[in-house]
Amino acid sequence: MSLTDAAAAPGLATSEALRVRGATKTYGAVEALRGADLTVRRGTVHAVCGDNGAGKSTLIKLISGVEAPDGGEISVDGRPVHFADPHAALAAGIATIHQDLGLAPRMAIYQNIFMGSELTRRILGVPVLRRRAMIARSAEFLAQLNSAITDMTVPVDTLSGGQRQAVAICRALRWKAETIIMDEPTAALGVRETAQVLALIRRLREQGVTVILISHNMADVVAVADSVTILRAGRTVLERATEGLDADSLSHLILFVGAEAA
Amino acid sequence: MKTIIAKYGTAITGLVILVVLILFARNFASSANMLNVLKNTSFLTILAVGFTFALITSELDLSFANIASLAAVVTGGMIYSGIAWPLAALAGLAVGLVAGYVNGLVVTVAKVPSLIATLGTASIAGGLAFMLTGGVAFVGRWDPVFLSLARGKVGPVPVLIFFMAAVVIAGWFVSRKTPLGVHMLATGEATEAAHRAGIATRRMKRIGLTLSGLAAGIAAVLLVASLSSAAPQMAGDYLLNAIAAVLLGMTMFEPGRPNIAGTFVGALIISVLDNGLVLLGAPYYLQDIMLGLIVIGSVSVSASVLKKAAFSV
Ligand SMILES: Nc1ncnc2c1ncn2[C@@H]1O[C@H](COP(=O)(O)OP(=O)(O)OP(=O)(O)O)[C@@H](O)[C@H]1O
Ligand SMILES: [Mg+2]
Repeated sequence: MSLTDAAAAPGLATSEALRVRGATKTYGAVEALRGADLTVRRGTVHAVCGDNGAGKSTLIKLISGVEAPDGGEISVDGRPVHFADPHAALAAGIATIHQDLGLAPRMAIYQNIFMGSELTRRILGVPVLRRRAMIARSAEFLAQLNSAITDMTVPVDTLSGGQRQAVAICRALRWKAETIIMDEPTAALGVRETAQVLALIRRLREQGVTVILISHNMADVVAVADSVTILRAGRTVLERATEGLDADSLSHLILFVGAEAA
Repeated sequence: MKTIIAKYGTAITGLVILVVLILFARNFASSANMLNVLKNTSFLTILAVGFTFALITSELDLSFANIASLAAVVTGGMIYSGIAWPLAALAGLAVGLVAGYVNGLVVTVAKVPSLIATLGTASIAGGLAFMLTGGVAFVGRWDPVFLSLARGKVGPVPVLIFFMAAVVIAGWFVSRKTPLGVHMLATGEATEAAHRAGIATRRMKRIGLTLSGLAAGIAAVLLVASLSSAAPQMAGDYLLNAIAAVLLGMTMFEPGRPNIAGTFVGALIISVLDNGLVLLGAPYYLQDIMLGLIVIGSVSVSASVLKKAAFSV
């Protein structure tokens, strides 16, 4: 197994935002992760690639506190962490846009964007929701994605797939997280919406946010990511800079690197 | 137009029933009868508001009526044995609170589905109530101040109506205006999504079930004061009535979703129908038949709303 360290990303930030070492996770008889490693430098866009079932979403669930690892270590800013639940990961500055089950379909857009971190004011010591402020801020967040949605009070299940994705992304922005993880954020999107998400990822990096991007779209990955981790059958088989890679060579790596080991 | 009917159809039907009764049921429209109907709605409403909170977090509570009976005999028994009524009343509230919390623990820690868990605690609470009373009722001489909790009046208006209003307003405020309320709602609407958004979903379910127990405690204390007696099973009849009020409420205002305003109007409709049927001279069993129809009808209306929510992100 040949592990190349991720090359120094452009920009000043080179400190480590996140590191996973030897993560394992089994679901009953299925070994979803069998020793996954991941090193993400602060302020970079880091892609995680691999075939269907390679363990990408599972790895993300460990980092975001949705599931507990069976083995291995996770550290944030060099400090080991054990996330008991998603709240702990959010508190540590890691917000995640999951591939599924991220939104409450019958609740309003603004309620979804502010879910778990509502804007409130205290009246006689009692926290009271600031509905109008949340609606206004939601519109601002969605405008960042050039979304055409104007009514923040409609339920999310009236939106298109791309619009729902935009709402999910706004939730992550709302947390003002230092690290944002996106599990296939463009999977349901059209050409224009995909371009907007990629532009947003670049803008987040400019603002110093670390982005971890899971994607099956090689063109997206080489266009936006600084470095990439390739998973195969639950193991990390390669970690390197995307510099010098094009979509074809990346696909080739995903298909063939470490194939003999698996 | 469609959404107006979806949101307000049931409430409008309720108004139509009201007008029909005013026109055709003798004595129905007298202010004495109206106040009486409202007064009798208060126990139903308080219990139903509690059940609404449990249901908002997507958990059932089938134990609140028996918990109320248990809390009633505890309060009644303590007063009967000479303990000051404020202490006895607090003990009744505590019984409800603790029983509700136990429901929450059984559901979220022992992971027993609430339908089964609360069926079990209902049986336990019912058994304990018989144990404490030996199967008979506590009757006797009660402190008039205690009795005035449920029998007093402010001007012509029974105090009970104020208790009911306070519970409804507090319930509405918490569920609609506070982060706690919206966290409970998100927990019930999409548990996994709420969990991933950092909401302590199991805690929300415990709070929902605990509030249901607390409401049972409140209703129990008022019921004892109102009837000046405490007997096992004294709140048993409220089980299906309160559930029907909540289910009927789910067809109103926020269709498909348990909500406090709907619960209140639902309870009013059921009380008005009960009262109207009596005044119209209908046989007593018609009330049971009506209740069954309301339960089934409301759920089928709500289900058709819920079916639309096919979704994944
Ligand atoms: N909750 C679960 N229960 C059982 N098996 C699971 C569970 N979650 C994931 N798996 C299994 O673990 C393996 C890795 O799944 P994972 O979702 O992490 O893959 P992925 O790389 O995200 O795939 P995709 O590209 O299709 O999203 C798969 O074999 C999958 O079937
Ligand atoms: Mg996946």
